[in-house]
Amino acid sequence: MNASLELRQVEKRYGDFVAVAGLSLAVPAGVIFGLLGPNGAGKTTTLRMIMDILAPDSGEVLLFGRRRRPEDLQRLGYLPEERGLYRKMTVVDQLLFLAEIHGLPRRRALPAIEAWLARVELADWGRKKVEELSKGMQQKVQLIGTVLHEPDILVLDEPFSGLDPINQGLFKQLLLEYRQQGKTILFSTHGMEQAEKLCDHIGLISHGRLVLGGELKEIKRQAGGNSYRLVAPMTAEDLERVRTLPGVALVTTRDLPEPPAPPEPPRLLPQQDAAPAPALAPETAVRLLLAPGASGPALLRRLVEFLAVREFRSEEPDLEDIFIKAVRDAA
Amino acid sequence: MRLEYAAIIGKREYLARIRTKGFWIATVAVPAFIGAVVLGPSLLMSKTSTEQRLAVVDATGSGLGRELQDALAPGGEAGGPAGHRRHGGGEAQVRFMVRLVPPATGAAAQAAQRAELDALARRREIGAWIWISREGLAANRFEYHAESLSNVITQEALKQRVSEVVGRWRLRQAGYDAAAIAKLVRPLEAQTVRISATGSRAEGGAAGFFLAFVLFFMLYMGILLYGNQVMQGVLEEKGSRIIEVLAAAVKPTELMLGKLGGICLVALTQMAIWAAAIAVVTTPGLAAALVSMPPNMKLPVLAPSLWLNFFLLFLCGFFLFATFYAMLGAAFNSAQEAQQLAGLPAIFVVAPAVFMVQIINDPDSALSVGLSLVPPLTPLVMMLRIATRMPPLWQLLAAYALAAAAIAVMIWLCARVYRVGILMYGKKPTLQEIWHWVRRA
Repeated sequence: MNASLELRQVEKRYGDFVAVAGLSLAVPAGVIFGLLGPNGAGKTTTLRMIMDILAPDSGEVLLFGRRRRPEDLQRLGYLPEERGLYRKMTVVDQLLFLAEIHGLPRRRALPAIEAWLARVELADWGRKKVEELSKGMQQKVQLIGTVLHEPDILVLDEPFSGLDPINQGLFKQLLLEYRQQGKTILFSTHGMEQAEKLCDHIGLISHGRLVLGGELKEIKRQAGGNSYRLVAPMTAEDLERVRTLPGVALVTTRDLPEPPAPPEPPRLLPQQDAAPAPALAPETAVRLLLAPGASGPALLRRLVEFLAVREFRSEEPDLEDIFIKAVRDAA
Repeated sequence: MRLEYAAIIGKREYLARIRTKGFWIATVAVPAFIGAVVLGPSLLMSKTSTEQRLAVVDATGSGLGRELQDALAPGGEAGGPAGHRRHGGGEAQVRFMVRLVPPATGAAAQAAQRAELDALARRREIGAWIWISREGLAANRFEYHAESLSNVITQEALKQRVSEVVGRWRLRQAGYDAAAIAKLVRPLEAQTVRISATGSRAEGGAAGFFLAFVLFFMLYMGILLYGNQVMQGVLEEKGSRIIEVLAAAVKPTELMLGKLGGICLVALTQMAIWAAAIAVVTTPGLAAALVSMPPNMKLPVLAPSLWLNFFLLFLCGFFLFATFYAMLGAAFNSAQEAQQLAGLPAIFVVAPAVFMVQIINDPDSALSVGLSLVPPLTPLVMMLRIATRMPPLWQLLAAYALAAAAIAVMIWLCARVYRVGILMYGKKPTLQEIWHWVRRA
C-alpha cells in the first residue's frame, strides 16, 4: 500500500486536555478516506496538524512517504470547517490571491479560474464582490479556491456541513472525479451516512485515538453475519433484558413508524383524573450486533422465551453500529 | 520565514486598501482638516477686513484731525487699510472711512453736536465718532463713541493709529522737524533667523511652530489610524474565518509581517501624497499666491533630512504600535473585546501632546531629551524636537537604536500571540491566557 499521507504516533495537548493521543493512520494514495468521530474527538486538530497549522507535541506527519517540505503546500488543498472569504474582494481577485499563496502564478491561475467559474455557473460573477454573492455561491467560490492549484491531496474538514443540496451534489461529484484522477481525499465528518456512501477507507477516532481503521468493505465484512434485525413488542425492561443476554454486543433501537393514536372521545364533562392505563408494550425494532463467535439461532431461542418475536433476520451492519460498538469497546 | 509569501499577503493588503474610497477620502480630507484647523483662523483674519465709518471731531484746532484723516484713510474719504499687528503674527485689516467734522463753538453747541453725532451713529450713517480735545490729550485720552464697544480689534487698531499720529504731532509741537520725526519713529520688524546645521536662513517663528505642529499631527494621526486598521484587518480575517485558509498556506509570522508591511505601505503612500502636497504648497511664491500670505511670513524650508527623519519616525511609531494592535486583533474576537486595551497606545501618543509646548520651547531640555529616548514616545517627541531644532546625532542614533530594539521585542511578542490567537474563536481570553500563549508558543 502506497500511503500518500501518514500519521505516526501523533499527539497534541492543550494544557491538560489531550486532543489527539498517539494517533497513527495511513491514507493510501487514490482513495477517499473518511475520518470519523463524534464532536470533540480530535478530528479538526488532526487535520490542522496534517496541514502544519498546528505542530504536534510528539510524533510525526509524513506526506508522500517523507517529512513535509515547504513546496508540498502546492500539492495540498485544505478546506477548513470554519470557512470564509474576504468580503470586499472581487471573486477573481480572491481566487487569484488564494492561488498565489498556494504557489500558483497568476498567469496560470487566471485561465483555471475562468474555467472553474464557468463550470459552477458563476462566469458572470467574477467581477462582483464576494459580499454580493449568495451563501451558496460563496461556498462554490471557496471550493474553487481549495482545488484551483490542482492539489494531489485534498484535506477537507466537515466539507458537507452547511452546504445546500446543490453544492453537496457538486462536492460529491468533485470528490469522485478527484479519486478517478488518482488523487487522495481525506475528509472528516460526524455524519456516518455521507461517509458510508463516499469512502473507500475510514478511520474512526474517539478521544483522540483511532478505534477502528481500514478499508470500509473489509470492516463491514468482518462485522457482517453478526448483525440481526429484531422486531417484537417490547417494554423497556424487555429491551434491557435483551441487552444483557450473553453474546449480544450492541443493541440499537431503530425507528418504526408510530401507530396512529386512537381518536380521543369527545368530552362533554370535565373528566376526573383516572389512573393511567397500563402501557401496552409497543412494537419495537432493534438491531443486534453479536459478539464474535456468538450464534444467531442460539440467541433467537433465548429471545422467544420472553418476547413475541415478529421478525428476526440477518442483515449487513451499518457504519453507525460499527462505530458505536468500536467507541464503546475502546472506552 | 519566506519573504515572498509575506509579500503576497502584503500586496493583497495594500491593493485592497488603496482601492477603497475611504483611502482617497481620508487622503484628501485629513490635510483639508489640518489646513482648516491650522490655517483657517489666521486666513480668515487676514481676509476679513473690517470697515468702519468714522467721524472725527478735532477740537484741538491744530490740524491734528486732518493728519488723522490722512493716516487712517489715506486718499480721503475713500478709505484705506490700516495695518494692525496682532500677537499671533497674523494680520487683521481694519479700514476706516473718515469724515472730518469741524467742532462747534460754545459748550451748548458742542453738546448739540454730540447729540447729532450720536443720532448719526444710531441711524448707522457712521459706525463711531471720536472727539479729540487738548484737555483729553493732556490726560492721554481721546473719546470714542459707538453703539457697540465689542469691536476690540478695530478699537485697538484705531488706538494705535491715533497714538502714532498724536505722538508725531506732539514731537512737532516740541519743535522737532517733520522729516526727522518720520525717520526716527519708523517701526521695527523682528527678523527671525533659524539656526541650523545647513546654514542659517530667515524664517518666521510662527511658521516653524506650524511645521512642527503639522508634522506632529501627521505622525499622530498616522500611527493611531493605521495601527487601528491593522487591528481591524486581523479581526476581519478572524471574523470571516478566512484566517484558517491563510494559516494553512503561510506561517503566522509571514501573515503578520505581510499584514504589517502592506498596511505600512498604504500609510507611506498616503503620507507621500501629503508630503508632496506640502512640498508644492510651501514652494515659495505659490503658497503666497494661493493663500495671499502676508509678505513678512516666511515659510520654513523642508529639508530632506527632516523628511527622512519624519519617515523613519513614522516607521518606528507604526511598527511599535501596529504590532500591539495586531496582537489585540489576533487575541480577541471583536473590536468590543479589544476596546479596553486598544486605548493603551493612545496614552503614549497623547503624552507627547501634553508636553508639546515645553518641547517646542526648549527642545534640548532634560525633559525633551529624556522623553525622546523612551521608545513608545520617541516618534512624536523626536518629531517635535527635529522640527524645532535638529538634536545632536548621538541622541538621534540612540533613540532609533532603542526604538529598533523595542520593535524587535514587539514583533517577537506579537508573532507568539498571533500563532495561537488567530485560530482561537469564541471566548474572550484573559490577559493571563494571552501571557500563557506567549510563553508556550
